[in-house]
Amino acid sequence: MVNPAKNLSIHWRATTSRLLLAYGVFFVIWGMVLLGSIYWETLHYLESRTDMQLQQQITYLRSLDREHMLIALNDYVILERTNYNAWGLFDAHGKWEYGDILQFPTGLMVDSASVRLPTEKVVGGPFAPPTPTLSVIAAHLPDGEVLVLAHTTRIAARVGSIILHALWWGLSFTLVPGLIGGLILNRGPRRRIRQIESATQPIMRGDLRQRLPVGKRGDELDRLAAIVNDMLDQIEQLMGEVKGVCDSIAHDLRTPLTRLRSQLYRVQQQMREEDPNAALIERCTTDIDEVLARFRALLRISELEDRRRREGFVAVDLGRTLQQVYELYAPLAEDQQQHLVLEADQGLIVQADPDLLFEALGNLVGNAIKFTPPGGHVALRAIRTGPDVAHIEVADSGPGIPEEQRQAVWQRFYRGDGNREEAGHGLGLSIVAAIAKLHDFELRIDGDETGTRMGMDCRLQLPA
Amino acid sequence: MPHILVIEDDEITAREIVLELAVHGISADRVHDGLQGLQRAREPHYDAITLDLMLPGMDGLSLVKQLRDSGITTPVLMISALGDVDERVRGLRAGGDDYLTKPFAPDEMAARIEVLLRRHRQEQPAQTKLRVADLELDMITRIARRGGRELTLLPTEYRLLEFLMRYPGQVLTRAMIFESVWGLRFDPGTNLIDVHIARLRRKVDIDGEPSLIRTMRGSGYRLG
Repeated sequence: MVNPAKNLSIHWRATTSRLLLAYGVFFVIWGMVLLGSIYWETLHYLESRTDMQLQQQITYLRSLDREHMLIALNDYVILERTNYNAWGLFDAHGKWEYGDILQFPTGLMVDSASVRLPTEKVVGGPFAPPTPTLSVIAAHLPDGEVLVLAHTTRIAARVGSIILHALWWGLSFTLVPGLIGGLILNRGPRRRIRQIESATQPIMRGDLRQRLPVGKRGDELDRLAAIVNDMLDQIEQLMGEVKGVCDSIAHDLRTPLTRLRSQLYRVQQQMREEDPNAALIERCTTDIDEVLARFRALLRISELEDRRRREGFVAVDLGRTLQQVYELYAPLAEDQQQHLVLEADQGLIVQADPDLLFEALGNLVGNAIKFTPPGGHVALRAIRTGPDVAHIEVADSGPGIPEEQRQAVWQRFYRGDGNREEAGHGLGLSIVAAIAKLHDFELRIDGDETGTRMGMDCRLQLPA
Repeated sequence: MPHILVIEDDEITAREIVLELAVHGISADRVHDGLQGLQRAREPHYDAITLDLMLPGMDGLSLVKQLRDSGITTPVLMISALGDVDERVRGLRAGGDDYLTKPFAPDEMAARIEVLLRRHRQEQPAQTKLRVADLELDMITRIARRGGRELTLLPTEYRLLEFLMRYPGQVLTRAMIFESVWGLRFDPGTNLIDVHIARLRRKVDIDGEPSLIRTMRGSGYRLG
C-alpha cells in the first residue's frame, strides 16, 4: 500500500514539480512587479491630474469676483459630491470666514503646488470622507483672503484596489490550473519510472539478461535507461567471464584430483585390511570425493543456469513425485530420529522436467533433514493455493534462518553463520534455485526461529 | 577372461582404463581413432567397448549408431568430457549402454564395465529367481527369503536387493545404485544410499554373522 503522505512527498520530489514550483514563485514575483509598476504609474498619473485640476480650479476661482466665486464654490461642492470636494475661505490673518474647511490646515503652503494631507487634518466631523488623504491647495485672493480647496484621492484608491484585485485573480487563474496541469504532466514520467522500477526487479534478483524499457522519445529517461542498459551489458559480460573462470577452475581441477583419487585408491587396494594407514587413506579419499562433489555441483549449477530450453518438459504429477521423494528420504529422516511427513493434494499437474524437479525437492528435503535436530519433524507438502497455482514446500523444525539471510541461502557456497561445521558444500540450494528458475517457479522462504519453510510456487497445467 | 576394446584418443586416459581393467582381471585392446575403432568393434571377440565420444576420424555417437545399425550388440560404455544431461540422453539414445563423465574414478569405470559384461551375459536365459548364498529372490512372486525365512521388504528395499543380487560378488558404486534403483543421476550425498543399505542389511543379515552386503572401501557395496 502506498502511504498518501509519502505519495505526496514523492510528487514534490519529482523534477517536474520542483520546476513547476520555481516557475510559480518566479511568476508570482514577476506578476507583482508588473502590476505594481502599473499601479504606481497609474496612481502617479491620477494624482498629478487631481493636482492639475485643483490648480486650474483655484486659478479660475481667483479670477472671479467674490460673489460669483462663492456661488461657484457651492456649485463645485454640490456637483462633485461623489468625489468629495471641500473648501474654506480665510481672512488675511487665517481666520475662518466660509466653507467646510474650518481651520487652515497646518503644513499647507499658500500659493504653492498642492500637497497631500491626512483627511483629519483638513476636515473633521460628519463630513469627513472615508479616504485617508486629501489633495489640498491654497492661494491668496486679490483682496488678501486665502482660499483652500481640497479634493479626495478616492479614484486613485479605487484604481489601486482594482489593480490589486486583478493581481489576485490573475495569480489564482494561472497558478491553480498550472499546479494541476503540472501534477498531470508529472504522471507520465512517474508511470515510466514505475515501469523501469518493475523492469529492475528481475535484474536485482539476479537475472542479468533483463533490460530496462527504452522508448522512442529519446528524452532524459530514455537516455538514462539506455545508459543503464549499456552498463548491464558490461556487467553481464563481466559476470559471464567470472563464471567462466570459476567453471574452468572447477573443470580443470577435476582431472588432477580424480587422478590423485585413483592413486590413493590403488594404494588402498594393495593394503591389508588391518593396516593402520588404511583408515587414513579412506579419509583422504572421502575428502577428495567431497571436493569433487563440490566441483560437480558447481558445474551442474552453471549447466542449469545456461539451459534456456525447456526440452524434456512433460506433465508431472506433483503428488507422485513427492511420494517418490518421500520414499527416498524417509529412511534418512528416520536415521536422524526425525519425522518426515508427506501432505500432497491430489491432481496437481505441472509442466516440468521430472528428474530436475525430483532433484530440487530432494535437495530441499536433504537440506531440511540436515538442519533439523533429532526428534524434530520435516514436512513435504504440495498444496493447491489457487485455481492454477500450487505451492510445494519443505517445512522443518530446525533453528530457522534469520530474515536478512533468507535471500542469501540461494547463493553459491552460502552457509548460515551457525552451521559452518555441518557437512555439505552449500551448493544444494543453489541447484534448487537454478532448477526453479528454469521452470519459472517462484522461490519462497518463510519461517521463524521455530522452523523454516522453503518452497516454490508453480503454475499448474489445467486439464484441457 | 573378458576382452574389452578401448576406443580412446587421450593417452593418459587410455592407459588408466587399460591398467584398471587389468586389476579387475579384464584384458583390453586399445584403438586411437573412430574409423579404426568402428572396424575393430565389428570383430566378434569383444565382450564390451569403452568409447570416447570425441574422437578423430569419426565421433563416438556416429560410431555407436553404425555399430547398432549393423546389428552388433556388444555393450558400450560411453565416456565423455561433456557432463551435460542432454549429452548423456543423446548418447544412450544412439545405442550406448552406459555413460560416464570425464574425469572419472577408474574403479567406477571398472565397476560399470563389469555390470555391462554381466548384464550382457544374463540377457540370454530369462531368469525368474536370483540366488546368492542362502539368499533367494523370486522375481515373479516378489518374495525374498534368507535361509527359508521370508523377508518383509518395502518396494524400494525390494528393488535395491534385486539390483544387488543381479550382480553378486561385484562392486556397485553409490552412483550406480542410485541410477539403477531410483533412476536418478543427481548427487544425493553419500549418506542417503548408505542409510538405505543399512536398512536393507537389518532385514537381510542374521545377527552375529558378518553382513552379506559388504562395504567396499572408497567405492561402494558388494553382495556376497
